[in-house]
Amino acid sequence: MSEQSVVWRRQGLGSVFQALVPYIVAVIASFAAAGIVLAVMGYNVPRAYATILFTSFRTPNGIIQTLIKFVPLVLQALAFTIPLAAGKFNIGGEGQLIAGAIGATTVGIMLAGWPAPLLLPLVLLGGIVMGALWILLPAWLLYRFSINEILTTVLMNFVAFELIDYVATNIWPDPVAGHPTTIPIGAGGFLPRLIQQPPLHAGLLIAIFIAILVYFYTDHTSAGYELVATGANARASRVYGINVRSIFFLSLLLGGAIAGLSGAIEVAGVHHRLIAGIQSNFLLLGLIIGLIAKGNHLAVPFVAFFIAVLEVGASAMQRTLMIPGEMVFIVEAFILLFVLLSDVVRRR
Amino acid sequence: MNQVSPPLLQLQGISKSFGSLLALKDVNLTIQHYEIHGLLGGNGAGKTTLMNVLFGLYKPNAGQVILRGQPIHIQSPRDAIHYGIGMVHQHFLQVPHFTVVQNIVLGSRLRNRPTLNLTMATERIQDLCQRFGLEVDPNAHIIDLPMGVRQRVEILKALYRGVDVLILDEPTTNLTPQEVDSLFESLQRMVAEGMSVVFITHKLREVMQVCDTISVLRAGEHQLTLPRAQVSEELIVRTMVGSDIDLDDSILFAATAPPESASSLTGPPVLDIQGLTLSDERKIPQIEDVSLQVHAGEILGIAGVAGNGQQELLEAVLGIRTADGGQIRFQNQELGHCSTRDRLRQGIAYVPEDRVQDGILPTATIAQNLILGVHDRPPYSQRGILKWPIITQHAQHLIAKYHIQTQGAGQQAGNLSGGNLQRLILARALAQPIQLLLLHNPTSGLDIPTVEQIYRQIRQRRQEGLAILLVSDDLDELMLLSDRIAVLYRGALVGHLQQKDFDKYEIGRMMSGVYNHV
Repeated sequence: MSEQSVVWRRQGLGSVFQALVPYIVAVIASFAAAGIVLAVMGYNVPRAYATILFTSFRTPNGIIQTLIKFVPLVLQALAFTIPLAAGKFNIGGEGQLIAGAIGATTVGIMLAGWPAPLLLPLVLLGGIVMGALWILLPAWLLYRFSINEILTTVLMNFVAFELIDYVATNIWPDPVAGHPTTIPIGAGGFLPRLIQQPPLHAGLLIAIFIAILVYFYTDHTSAGYELVATGANARASRVYGINVRSIFFLSLLLGGAIAGLSGAIEVAGVHHRLIAGIQSNFLLLGLIIGLIAKGNHLAVPFVAFFIAVLEVGASAMQRTLMIPGEMVFIVEAFILLFVLLSDVVRRR
Repeated sequence: MNQVSPPLLQLQGISKSFGSLLALKDVNLTIQHYEIHGLLGGNGAGKTTLMNVLFGLYKPNAGQVILRGQPIHIQSPRDAIHYGIGMVHQHFLQVPHFTVVQNIVLGSRLRNRPTLNLTMATERIQDLCQRFGLEVDPNAHIIDLPMGVRQRVEILKALYRGVDVLILDEPTTNLTPQEVDSLFESLQRMVAEGMSVVFITHKLREVMQVCDTISVLRAGEHQLTLPRAQVSEELIVRTMVGSDIDLDDSILFAATAPPESASSLTGPPVLDIQGLTLSDERKIPQIEDVSLQVHAGEILGIAGVAGNGQQELLEAVLGIRTADGGQIRFQNQELGHCSTRDRLRQGIAYVPEDRVQDGILPTATIAQNLILGVHDRPPYSQRGILKWPIITQHAQHLIAKYHIQTQGAGQQAGNLSGGNLQRLILARALAQPIQLLLLHNPTSGLDIPTVEQIYRQIRQRRQEGLAILLVSDDLDELMLLSDRIAVLYRGALVGHLQQKDFDKYEIGRMMSGVYNHV
């Protein structure tokens, strides 16, 4: 969070390194722990880890795969950490992603003939608006009746799963696809490519821009200060004149909008259509990223990139070594556990 | 009494550290038979820590306890009670919906556990009440009892278990002066019946009034133990504060009344409350028809036993709670539905009672904490952008001016000690141009030099024309600082005294709801 960045500004690189030590230890420890499991299962541990860690950097394709993965991960993480800064938990990122994807697809198909300068912004906006709308009900229930947002945002995910199936099989189904899929959106709604082959879409720039914007918002604006203050102590914030209920509401809405944007980017940049399962496991990875970064918005993009490396490495490991890709999930879980553990150790 | 018999209780060479903090350094203390032993010291002197060691709550790093000449090992409160040592803590541990008897027998040995027939216990408690002059209805529910009576219940708990030494930790904190007198009478009866009492306090006058022997601790070290007849108030004060304070210039230990208010009080009041009525979420009335005025350059004290509507009154002025009826006018303007933010902006500042819950952002830095409430105003932010260099500079300035002990503006506020937290909160309140200052128990739990420092700042601000509403549970504090005192009882103002009419017992009567005029 921003308080750490103030400390960083004041104390320089030495303390940045000190802050990083527990993370480095946690990563090494989790690889060691997972390595034992792999060895017991009879796999070649060094080769497995080499694959996980270096696939992303060995080939241009690896780098681009990693960057493509990075985009939804960083956005999902931010959709979680913005409300987290205010002390609220948005566990509905995938529902909002799906809603955003549906919004983007709807705009992209209905206005298919429009030229790119008009259609592309509208497609992205469609995603942002639908993502925000998807969290509007939980946010309002929290604002009006103090109903726990964890429950309501999770439940909205299930509604989204049904809705995407309905849209992909009943409204604009693609008859030749064997999986619930819609017809493509208009070409004007495609995100331009930064690199043609292998393809890298411009969503990367949007994600980086959003990450910088969020950092600036939470650490350098008075509105962001209110967000962080509310998360640090809602009661004191209220005593000193901050309307904390509005902050809760706003933080959830922002989170939903960003999650919706991630859905729109998946449609406009990667699939060019709506596909059931578009949410992948981005929500869970987003939570892990947000928690490992401890809500520090300066750290979120870096952690997201690291997790993207692991994810790409995991797919490669599965292909080449026949090791289940879920193994990487276990490594990620270990990292989170060890990072949280390092807090406990330091407090002693 | 046998001349050669060993003293009742001896603590020898007790040391105790918490992490790097040495809370007790080689402390020796002897409790004789049949005495009220006053254990005196400022906050943080180690009084409570020492007694917690004796009661088995803390394990000392070094030292031993000797009871009637025999070394004993106390591992837990159960052991302590077994050896006849009882303790009444500052915060009572009682079940509010149980009766007095049920609370007292809770955790004690019961012979008729299956039937839970408490007739015998009730009789024994009634007997104890009579013997020691502790007036309690054994069948009343705790929740219906005032603080003074709840404390008697806590004392009865110890007596019921048959103790020889009773330790009382700051027993007078929530009592009216009348209740204090009655407590002292009971203590004297206990001594007459063969017990000894250890009376922990930071209030000098109480010790001089009731104790037979006086010991002083300072910064974890034993300073002196003397019979009361051999000590003077001045000696005790000097021992308590060391060389930290210039006593001749002290407000806390001043013998004379505070100076008259500098400005005239004839102008319109800064704060004018008329007929304020307020209920909580469950529609239970908390404030009933309260009217009061605070003028520029005066301190209005609000006395009352804690929980009689003090917090609600302050929160209504701040707009955190909405009033059911009445008017709150600030600088001749009806505040009405004005938001808390706007009220702060117009020149009201608040120092809440609960520093950690209501006062700070524990995980945020000191710099961030120091702009809480003014974070959206220039120069700290402009057009919505925080100006970190200015904020940091502001923080460094306040840290120096208000003597906040920290390594820097970037440190987490949650790591500050109580006194430094209060300095931070006070610095934040006083850093802005304000017309009205709301203070709630501004010095509770703080050490003597800090209290002195805060009193000085309050006095100085009053002199400069600030209107101050001082709500405090500490009657001595109110009488020391206030120009007028109003008494709050069950949400209503039941009395109003000018400085020349201040009388501890009169105010005490009002605090317990006994009053003649409004």
